[in-house]
Amino acid sequence: MTPNRREFLWTAGAAAAAAACQLKDYQWSTPLEQEGWAPGIEERKSSVCLVCPARCGIRGRTVDGQLVRINGNPLHPMSQGGLCPRGVGGVQVLYHPQRIAAPVVRAGARGAGQWRGISSQEAVALLAQHLGALRTAGRPERLAVVAGYCAGTMDELWRHFLRAFGSPNYVTDEYPDGSDAVMALMHGIPRRPGYDLENARLVLSFGAPLFESWWSPVQAFVAFGGSAAKPSRHGHFVQVDTRFSRTAARAHEWVGVPPGTHGVLALGLAYVLIKEQTFNADFVARHVTGFEDGVDAAGRPLAGYRSLVLRNYRTEEVSAITGVPVERIVALARAFAAGPGAVAVCGSDVLHAPDGLLSGLAVHSLNVLMGNISRPGGVLFGDDPPLAPLAAPRLDAVARAGLARPPVARAAVPFGTGDPAPQFAAAAAKGGGAIEALLLYYSNPLASAARPEDWRAALEHIPFVVSFSPFLDETARFADLVLPDLLPYERWQDAPTPPSYPYQVWGLAQPLVAPPDKTLATADALLALARTLGGSIAPSLPYADMPTLLQARARGLFAAGRGMTLGDMFERTHYRQMEERGWWLAEQPDFDAFWKATVEQGGWTDLLYDGTDPARLARTASGHIELMPETLLRALRAEGKDRQPYAALRASATPAATGTAPFPLRLVPYRLSTLSSGTIHLEPWLAEQPSLALDVHWLPWIEVHPTTAAALGLGDGTMVWVVSARGRCRARLRHFPGTASGQVNAPYGLKHPSGELANPLQLLDGATDPLTGLAAWYSTFVRLERA
Amino acid sequence: MTRWGMVIDLDRCTGCGACEVACKSENNIATVAPDQADMGRAFAWMRVMTEVTGDFPNTTMRFMPRPCMHCDNPPCVQVCPVGATYINPEGIVGQIYPRCIGCRYCANACPYTVKYFNWSVPKWPASERAHLNPDVSVRPKGVIEKCTFCDHRLQRAREDARVEGRELREEDYQPACAEVCPTGAIVFGDLENPRHRVQALKTDPRATRVMESLGTEPKVYYLVPRA
Amino acid sequence: MRPEIAAKLAQLPPDERTLLRPLVHTTSRFYVAAGILAVIVLWGITAYVLQWRFGLGRTGLNRPEYWGIYIIDFVFFIGISHAGTLISAILRVSKAEWRRSITRSAEFITVLVLGFGAINPIIDLGRPDRLTNVFFHPHLRSPLLWDIMSICLYFTASTIYLYIPMIPDLAIVRDAGIKAPGFYRFLAAGYQDTPAQRARLERVIGVLAIVVIPIAVSVHTIIGWIFAMTLRPMWHSTIFGPYFVMGAIYSGIAAILIAMVILRRAYGLGQYFKPIHFDYMGRLLLLFSLLWFYFTFAEYLTAFYGKEPAEMRTFWAKVAGPFAVPFWLMVICCFVIPLALMAQRAMRTPRGTLIAGISVVIGMWLERFNIVVPTSVNPRWELETLGHYLPSWVELSILAGTFAGFVLLYMVATKFFPIVSIWEIKEGREESVRSVAERVGGYLPEPVAPSGGGD
Ligand SMILES: Nc1nc2c(c(=O)[nH]1)N[C@H]1C(S)=C(S)[C@@H](COP(=O)(O)OP(=O)(O)OC[C@H]3O[C@@H](n4cnc5c(=O)[nH]c(N)nc54)[C@H](O)[C@@H]3O)O[C@H]1N2
Ligand SMILES: Nc1nc2c(c(=O)[nH]1)N[C@H]1C(S)=C(S)[C@@H](COP(=O)(O)OP(=O)(O)OC[C@H]3O[C@@H](n4cnc5c(=O)[nH]c(N)nc54)[C@H](O)[C@@H]3O)O[C@H]1N2
Ligand code: SF4
Ligand code: SF4
Ligand code: SF4
Ligand code: SF4
Ligand code: SF4
Ligand SMILES: [Mo]
Repeated sequence: MTPNRREFLWTAGAAAAAAACQLKDYQWSTPLEQEGWAPGIEERKSSVCLVCPARCGIRGRTVDGQLVRINGNPLHPMSQGGLCPRGVGGVQVLYHPQRIAAPVVRAGARGAGQWRGISSQEAVALLAQHLGALRTAGRPERLAVVAGYCAGTMDELWRHFLRAFGSPNYVTDEYPDGSDAVMALMHGIPRRPGYDLENARLVLSFGAPLFESWWSPVQAFVAFGGSAAKPSRHGHFVQVDTRFSRTAARAHEWVGVPPGTHGVLALGLAYVLIKEQTFNADFVARHVTGFEDGVDAAGRPLAGYRSLVLRNYRTEEVSAITGVPVERIVALARAFAAGPGAVAVCGSDVLHAPDGLLSGLAVHSLNVLMGNISRPGGVLFGDDPPLAPLAAPRLDAVARAGLARPPVARAAVPFGTGDPAPQFAAAAAKGGGAIEALLLYYSNPLASAARPEDWRAALEHIPFVVSFSPFLDETARFADLVLPDLLPYERWQDAPTPPSYPYQVWGLAQPLVAPPDKTLATADALLALARTLGGSIAPSLPYADMPTLLQARARGLFAAGRGMTLGDMFERTHYRQMEERGWWLAEQPDFDAFWKATVEQGGWTDLLYDGTDPARLARTASGHIELMPETLLRALRAEGKDRQPYAALRASATPAATGTAPFPLRLVPYRLSTLSSGTIHLEPWLAEQPSLALDVHWLPWIEVHPTTAAALGLGDGTMVWVVSARGRCRARLRHFPGTASGQVNAPYGLKHPSGELANPLQLLDGATDPLTGLAAWYSTFVRLERA
Repeated sequence: MTRWGMVIDLDRCTGCGACEVACKSENNIATVAPDQADMGRAFAWMRVMTEVTGDFPNTTMRFMPRPCMHCDNPPCVQVCPVGATYINPEGIVGQIYPRCIGCRYCANACPYTVKYFNWSVPKWPASERAHLNPDVSVRPKGVIEKCTFCDHRLQRAREDARVEGRELREEDYQPACAEVCPTGAIVFGDLENPRHRVQALKTDPRATRVMESLGTEPKVYYLVPRA
Repeated sequence: MRPEIAAKLAQLPPDERTLLRPLVHTTSRFYVAAGILAVIVLWGITAYVLQWRFGLGRTGLNRPEYWGIYIIDFVFFIGISHAGTLISAILRVSKAEWRRSITRSAEFITVLVLGFGAINPIIDLGRPDRLTNVFFHPHLRSPLLWDIMSICLYFTASTIYLYIPMIPDLAIVRDAGIKAPGFYRFLAAGYQDTPAQRARLERVIGVLAIVVIPIAVSVHTIIGWIFAMTLRPMWHSTIFGPYFVMGAIYSGIAAILIAMVILRRAYGLGQYFKPIHFDYMGRLLLLFSLLWFYFTFAEYLTAFYGKEPAEMRTFWAKVAGPFAVPFWLMVICCFVIPLALMAQRAMRTPRGTLIAGISVVIGMWLERFNIVVPTSVNPRWELETLGHYLPSWVELSILAGTFAGFVLLYMVATKFFPIVSIWEIKEGREESVRSVAERVGGYLPEPVAPSGGGD
């Protein structure tokens, strides 16, 4: 077809956007003339920050319908009016120069950056046409959806859609960190632990970047701020970390250890607790199995936790491995045991290690020893808000047939959900038409994946690729159709707080500004698609649009007979106390009033946590907390290396503590708390000053200890290649004394002006923990070369 | 007599930088290109200053969020040849952008180096003009700017209070940084008013001011961390 | 030169003949030199136009390095300007007869360089378009405002002080009728050199000479105060006023020396700028090199002795840090070289003084640099990141432009005005021998009258 004018504009426009990588925009944009400005109509609305998985409550200030400020929502029980810098800077996400506000289809070769603008109806029709074809051909399973982090109803919507459609290929990044596997093993509760930081006496964090990119930094901030008000020694934060992170810097104490030794340190503490008899023997006796020696299912004698620890983690040895002085270890253990309310927080990165799962068990075993489970200031297992379920999908023959076929990426890991994305890419890269249509939601694998080459190959084999990204990110540029989602401040979405916050909060995100009329929220697009596809799919998703769907689900909350719409500190305490005494009274007479209040106040919450419920300690077959889970023992035996839980860590922690030629330096990637996306500069205010400790701006850098750098003859500020066996990436070397010698700390997510992304995760050696399938992030060694 | 001031509890501050960004968003602070930022031309009316000491694993870091100190005896005001930086009766040190001739004498006179200069025309991507705060003027090329204690909010608060026929309450007038701080490290109010928290906090044993010996009489107090 | 002019020139008495020659006769070397300088000036102007258009972003300035080349030049040029007025005034007041052939060239330096000094702070402004705010919204507590006032005053005073003593010479040119009669008739303002006029003239000059001295002193004192009134380490110093004045005179003398040597060669003024002049000026230079050392030593010792941390950071940055090179170069140029040379009589020759003069001028520029930059990049607050400064090509071009501009104007001036005061030389020949004899007589005790014998 001959390109019309509209098409031309689009080609130009999109190409420009694609070319102009963020930096350029901020360099070459035009100055601003302020003529005729007058304060206009002002509005304030509650919503939820969707910039990261923490889902804090926000309140937007709009003037004449434009969002000028984002403040915290004081009614939100988790964030309590506080925000992190990314949340505050959200206005720059909304008005990002690279945002695309209308659907486009590819008008040239893939990735050539030539687009033709189409209406959202046309876009949905196009989707329906391609997907419908798959179904009529009886190959529904060849549709795959890859979704970045999306909790709540959006996640269920995708699952429902795929079920009704008939495809098992739903690949989602639930920010897998393996902690759910640990809980499943020890407690029989396949759910990530919540931490009652606010009431904790001592918070002992193993590598969890509480104040940076944790599940909910603001939850940690609020707890930390509160601790300052309490009598000293209460709310004491100790950070165990492999680098001098900002969390380490701010914690009251920090303990530097070599990567991969967190578990060993944890068991070193356990050793002292057991030796000094300071652990909670009564709790262990009543609720825990596997502590004492015994026999396993097959009747073979089985060393218990106690003897394994006593045998393997003598303080001197632990000190030798972790480099933490003996007296420090003893002091830490004593502080931990000094009373109730000491909680060990397991960083997701503890599990991103070759023996991650075992390390995770080791760390959490400290909480078990102290019996600090489902107690104030301990590890809590919250529940999901009592939402009304979605209408059950109707499965026709095609769907049933499709679902019967195996998913492309089988999460073939013994424990936890694993991380299916890499497997999926690898499988799809083989081609053979396993996947014929791919929908990318909140996902930019060409930039973010550890093996982008797999994804590139996969995309080449997939005839129809659709991205819902509102930004022309690396992967979207490679798509056939981009049906841009609305941005967070324009769309309806529910946003439950992450599991780290143990209480039930159902945040509700509502549009703060009028969305552009040319495109659709992906949720609405999906519902429209279901309607267009018709058949059994339409009745499976019988909702006009997202708000209707959310209302339908909220009826569950209204009917639950507990909880409250978000309210201030007084109301929260009031309701909790009532509920503790078994009372409850409805704030609103009817659902409409309830919904109105929920929208106005930004959500619903129930702060009652019944710690007495035994189901909140263990749901294992034995009804006990298991330190020696049978399934784990079996898995370890299957390895054939007769490794024992806990004991094994000692062996795996010691080797390769330091690198050898040609890769002498250890790579420690870490996420910048200032970047809201792993792959694009969404917020210039933050990209401009991404680090607190170093005077760096916009561009990728790495941190190396001055003496290590001097030994390599690399001065502060030199451009270097970080080279691993897998590949290399370019960054500016900065001297930083908080880096362990022989180590390279590499923040990820920053870009060069050329748009080249320096992604240290793409240097990883590909090692994984076979038990969880999680990539090992800290076992890769590199060398530095002058660039 | 009202004297607006701030108390920052260094025991609470985690250096998250939310205050920095809130300030930038509230006060229409522009970003600059990478090379400019490397030259030291980036703006941050509120800047979390840090000092790293010691080698791994014995490293320690000091955080210090630093707005303008709004000195009661402000050297910057003394030296301005055209009175483009002034101190108002309630102790807020402000800028008159249209009058500033850009000599940067005030910037040199400020012992706390909190003043920022518009070396070039502040740039905004066309799309981003939408989020500019209409209450705060965007600075032209060649003038000095700095933290104003968000005094545009004070004017608003005053009007509202007058309309409602009551006196100004502490919560009526909070600057953006104090409002957003997730740890509650920044407390703002009238240093002379017993109903405002700062009045008591400023006499807390932990309270100090930066370079008190200079006699600039800053109205920003810091509560030093407990040992 | 046209024959009739040549003829006219030939009729004039010897002094006039030599001293007026440059006004009517111009060598090709002059044009070449002027041409080159003009090009540099134009280049500087282009650079400024760019800066005007795009803002100070075109400089290497940043935060906390707010002040750089422009402010350095400002202080430097105004310093040089102390050459004429102050020197010549002091010499006049102290009736130093050897001054007669030097004063004019010195006063010209003052008036011309002052202009270039004054524009530098304007070039440094972020908003030159708002310069007038200084008059519409003056804020009298600002040293910058005091400075503007004193510079204006100094400029007027020194212009008058240049003009008045020049009137008789202007009359001479007028009467010689060798050049633009109208122009000189106007300037000469009907001066006929009657004894009455001459007497009045002398009286006015006498008064002016006394008046300009305090003004000149005030100018550079206040410039010193601009820095001293801030709380910045190594600026906040009480001796800055006198220190700056001393430095100013020092650089002034050096400038005159350079001018003298060049004029001497260019216009063959051998018998007017005699070895004795260079000897005396050399001694002055020697004196000031010692004074300079005294002040500098005092300044740094007090800073060092106090051990105030903030002060020490700047102190070490200069003495043994990133600024060690400019610092020690300054010491060599301002102290070692001039002292070594001027201490020996054999070196107080045109060549010797030229070398010393040049070294002092460079040294004094470096001194201004060492005052402005190191303090700027070392903020008082230790948590603040250290600054850095790399002047941009725009700044350097403007620097070159202003220097070239000054030299060019000076050259042109020598084409319109006798650069050595003709009448004062004459007066010297006629009067001073007698008057000096009388004066010296005046110093001596009266001869004792022989007592008469009695019988
Ligand atoms: N700002 C921001 N935050 C986010 C996101 C975002 O996009 N932006 N995304 C979310 C997502 S998807 C994820 S997966 C998470 C990622 O966030 P995390 O899973 O917390 O990973 P990092 O932030 O990289 O933190 C890694 C930390 O582990 C430390 N470490 C290094 N080696 C080891 C080791 O061997 N053991 C242990 N225990 N620690 C080690 C490093 O020093 C570093 O401090 O962030 C979430 N939060
Ligand atoms: N360089 C780098 N690589 C990484 C990481 C990193 O931090 N940096 N983190 C690693 C980890 S832990 C993970 S979990 C993965 C995550 O990798 P991804 O899931 O790819 O997450 P992001 O890189 O943040 O990309 C999310 C994309 O979603 C799009 N997006 C932004 N807002 C919206 C929206 O409102 N709606 C929709 N539909 N899309 C939107 C943006 O275009 C953005 O490119 O990456 C891994 N790889
Ligand atoms: S923590 Fe996450 S959700 Fe909360 S404000 Fe920051 S970015 Fe938004
Ligand atoms: S917002 Fe509060 S905690 Fe965060 S840096 Fe600023 S002062 Fe510190
Ligand atoms: S801190 Fe600096 S800018 Fe602020 S009032 Fe004091 S001197 Fe002026
Ligand atoms: S820069 Fe502006 S505000 Fe500062 S002193 Fe000069 S004129 Fe005054
Ligand atoms: S008071 Fe207002 S202007 Fe000052 S730092 Fe805080 S937010 Fe910025
Ligand atoms: Mo993730």
